[in-house]
Order: sequence, then C-alpha cells, then structure tokens
Amino acid sequence: MVKDRNSFIFRLLSTLFVILAINFFLPRMMPGDPFSTTSADEVGEDIIVMTEEQRLYYLNYYGLDRPLHEQFLVYMKNLMKGDLGRSIYYKMPVRDVIMLHLPWTMLVVFGATVISTVSGVVLGTLSAKNRKKGSDKIMMTGMIAFAEIPSFLLGLILLLIFSVYLRLFPLAGAVTPFADYNGPAEQAWDILYHAFLPVVTLSLSQLTGVYLLTRNTLITVTTKDYIRTARAKGLGEKTVWVRHALRNALLPVVTRTGFMIGIMMGGVVLVESVFSYPGLGMTLRSAVVGRDYPLIQGILLIIAVSILICNLLVDKIYGKLDPRVGI
Amino acid sequence: MIKDIAASKNAGILSFIQALNINRINRIVCSIAKPLSRFSTEGKIGILGIIGIILMAVFAPMITIYPPQKITGDSLEPPGPGHILGTDELGMDIWSQICYGARMSLTIGLAVAFTAGFGGGALGILAGYMGGHIDQALMRVIDVTMALPSFPLLIVISAFLGPSIFNVILILVLFSWAKPARIARSQTLSLKENNYIIAARNYGAKPFYLLRKHIFPEVMPVLLVLVIGISSHAIIAEAGLAFLGLGDPTSKSWGMMLNHATGFRSIYFTPYWQWWLLPPLFMLIFLLLCLAFISRDMERILDPKLKMKKGF
Repeated sequence: MVKDRNSFIFRLLSTLFVILAINFFLPRMMPGDPFSTTSADEVGEDIIVMTEEQRLYYLNYYGLDRPLHEQFLVYMKNLMKGDLGRSIYYKMPVRDVIMLHLPWTMLVVFGATVISTVSGVVLGTLSAKNRKKGSDKIMMTGMIAFAEIPSFLLGLILLLIFSVYLRLFPLAGAVTPFADYNGPAEQAWDILYHAFLPVVTLSLSQLTGVYLLTRNTLITVTTKDYIRTARAKGLGEKTVWVRHALRNALLPVVTRTGFMIGIMMGGVVLVESVFSYPGLGMTLRSAVVGRDYPLIQGILLIIAVSILICNLLVDKIYGKLDPRVGI
Repeated sequence: MIKDIAASKNAGILSFIQALNINRINRIVCSIAKPLSRFSTEGKIGILGIIGIILMAVFAPMITIYPPQKITGDSLEPPGPGHILGTDELGMDIWSQICYGARMSLTIGLAVAFTAGFGGGALGILAGYMGGHIDQALMRVIDVTMALPSFPLLIVISAFLGPSIFNVILILVLFSWAKPARIARSQTLSLKENNYIIAARNYGAKPFYLLRKHIFPEVMPVLLVLVIGISSHAIIAEAGLAFLGLGDPTSKSWGMMLNHATGFRSIYFTPYWQWWLLPPLFMLIFLLLCLAFISRDMERILDPKLKMKKGF
C-alpha cells in the first residue's frame, strides 16, 4: 500500500513536471524569437523595425540570452509567485484573465459532475434492479449509443434543437446582457438558465460511464455472501440495497468521478465554444485564434493542475470511504 | 452418336466448370460471410456504414460535380437541383466538401490508429518480453502519458507548432500510443510464461522468431480492437481541433466545415444552418457510431466470456 501511494504521488508529480516542461519549451522551440518578427495590426500603424542592437537589448532584458536551465529556474520562480505573464490580447496579467473566467468553467464542470454522478447512480441502480427485464435492455442500448457521441457534437445538437429550433434556451453567454436584476434570486435564475444547456451536454456525455459502472458493480455486489446474510437476517429490501449493496458499489464510482472531472476539463473547452459560454475554454479558443501565447500556456497550466488536484482529492476521499484502504 | 458423346462431354465439362465456379463463388461468399455472421445487427450496420464512407472518400471526384474549394455558385444557396446540399458563404458546394472531407477524417483516423496502435503495441511487446529496467522505464513513461490531459495539451501544441495535417497526426500519435503499449505489454507478460513458448525457446528459437511467430499473432486481435478505438478518438480530436480553428486551413475537413459554419455571424438566426451545419454534424456522428458498433462487436467476439450473450 505504501509503495502504491508513493508511486501515485510520483506519477502526479512527474505529470506536473512534464506539463511544466512542455509549457516552458514549446515557445522556445519555435523558430525565431519574439523580437525578430515585426507586425502592424491595423493599416496606418507604424511598423517597428528593431535594430540588431535593440533586439539584443530586449533579449537581455527578458533573460532570453541566458542558458536554458537558468531560464527554467526563473520561470519556476515566477510560477511559485503566481506570476503567469501578461496576456497580449487582454493587456493584463494572465492570472487576472483566468480568475475572471475560471468561475464559469467551475460552475459548469461541477454542475455536470454532480448531475451526471447522481443520475448515473440512480439510473444504474434502477437498471441493476430490473436486470433481465426489458427496461434494463432499452436503457442500456440508449445509454451506450449516447456515449459514443463526443460532447461538442452533442452540444451542437442540443443547441440546434433547444435554442435554435424551439427557442427555449439562450444561444450564447452566461448572463443576459445589460440585465437589471430585482434581487439575487433573479440573478441566480438567469445564471442557471444560461448554464443549463452546457451542463446538460457535459452531464450526458459522462452519464453513461457512471451508469455502466454502477450497474455492473451493483450486479457483482448483489451476488456476494453478505447481501444474502443481510436478507437472511430479515432486513428490508430498501436497507439491503442502500446500506449494503450501494455503499460498496459506490466506491469505484468515487474514483470514476475524479477521472471524469479530468475528461470534462478537456471536453469543456469545446462545449464552451459551442455555447459561447465565457469560461476558460472559450477564452482558450479566442487565445488560440489571437495567438495569445502566454494566456494559452496559463490556461493549460490551470487545467492540468486542477485535474491533478482532483485526482489527489479522490485518492484522499477514497481512503476515508473505504476503511480497508487506510494507510 | 459421336456427336452425342461430344455433346455430353461438353455438358459434363460445362457442368464441371459451373460447379467449380459456384464452389469458388461460394467459398468467397463464405469467407466474407463467416466472420460477418458473428457480428450483431448493429455491427453489420457499422461495417456497411464504414464501407459507404470509404467508397465516398475514394470516389469523391466521381460522385461530385464541383470541386470542393472552388466558388461554383451563389453564396449560401439552399439545396436545389444545381447544388444538392446547397453552398456555403463563399459559394462552394457542400456535397463536394462532405465527400472530400471524408478523406481527411479517414486519413487521420487510419494514420494515427495504425501508427499508434502497432507502434505502441510493438514497444509494449518488446518491453514485456525483455523486462528489467527498460520495462520499468517504459511503464513510468506510459503512466505519465496516460495521466496527461490530452485534449488541452493537443490544443496548445498545435497552436504552437502550427496547424498542418502532419502535425495533427504526429501529436495525436504521441498521445495515443500508451494504451496499446500497456495492453500489449501485459499480454506479452502472461504469454511469455506459456509452456509452448518456453518449449520453443528451449528448442533454440531466437527472440525475434518467438516474437514474430508466437507472441505477435496472439496480441494482434486485441491490438485491432484498440486500433478502432484509437481511430475514433483521433477523428474526434481532429474534428475538435478543426472546430476550434486549429485544423489545416488548406483542407476541408468536417470539423473545418463546423468551424466555418458556427463562426458565421448570426447563423442561428438564419435558415443557413439547416444545410451548412447539419451535414458535417450528421456525417461525423454517423462515422463515430459506425466505428463504435464495430469495435463493440469485435470486443464481444474476442472475449469468450461475453460470447454467449449476443447483443451485449
């Protein structure tokens, strides 16, 4: 067990290191340096041409002429201070841009995590209870077909049906622009109303995993001896299912939830683009279009770190839930 | 009399040839139908669908009238006799774009899947067979690769390296070789201890011979299932990247079409999405569902425990 935990921590740390290294080396692997190109965005803007002397001055100023390992140390030191550089497009620190958009992404991802976990467990339990009946089979076929559609295509379909065709939900954004709210309740309602479709999209794409896992573990668990014992000593059917079967079947679901957040942090980039939802993903898309490299790197780092934190949390929670794993 | 004999001889030869032909045709039909009959209905639909899309991609110049990248009509023409599926905002034919776009998705899917599947598989087999430090090192690398958030990294790397088909394939391969490598390794580890392999080794079989003759054929079917899975992942990833505007700008892939259509100002307030957005969306989902059906069926055929239950 100790060895397992060590290798787990080692894996997290080495993953983090690889991401940092990619983040650090990618811009430096590109041909040229930031000062060798000149550009003017608008007609009439002066094109600044640097002399060789000026170029060297700037290289020195930003520390780009120092050896790579020194640059890497400086980069790490800045990261520790929470300094992610300045966004070219927003003209403000990357950290502030991320802080502006992160809450929306968190809202969508956590909403989707809760909804898909709860409904997946409920549907999985229903399915396991009605195993060998028609309803289980129908549910299973539907679920599996759903799982194969990637989340952004699913999002497009939902957007076309509910926002474009039925006009039930907004097309874009996280709040109604220029809205006057009569109190926080109305504001909260507006936010939920806008977040509904992105959350549903992400939940649907993750639902099948939870559903199948719950169903299959429940079916395995219900054949165990302690379930028969529980029934034999006269416990009600409800107690047997909730306290004996589900309690044990939920353990893998908890682990799955951690991985799910990781997958969703990747998928959310596309889903937010579909719904023009102003979270990190949408920002990443506009940063990619605008070639805002510091912002791209910052967002990647935040996404990666949040995935790693989730994995760590899941590991901790699992230890608490399953006394057999302790230490 | 003589004539009769000749005639009957002829008839005999004829019937013999006929029988031979029928036999041969039968055999061909059987050799195709036998593995097919083990597939479920969804699996058969999946195979037919894939064959359809492949034909569409291969014969794209013959089944389309207009080249996909030329302006051949008015801007945003609705579907009609001139352009079966209408045109996009530049006046390019959408049906042509769909047919040529199939090439892009299939190329990326196949290239990534085969390189990653068999390359990763080969690495895994070698590591599993050799064991020791090489094996341990490979396992660590696999652990880290599998823990990396692949899609965000993909976006960042292709944003930095610049979008081209080759780059997209390269990056996708880098992120998808780990799973086949891991599975091939674990298979090799358990195969290696089998008596027949030990016997072959004791008879003086060289490692390369053992790998080629005994281990690779055993690992192969599992790798094939993984290859299908990887190709659908690669197709999704390419479509996603293109949708974000990171696809090869010179190509017309389905993801690119989605990108252009959703990037069109106020497309949702006009009827244009009906013929501009729906076709690539439908084709992508259809292709992915076909691949999924096939891979699920192959998994079922390979796994003897599940073989009894057809369907699931």
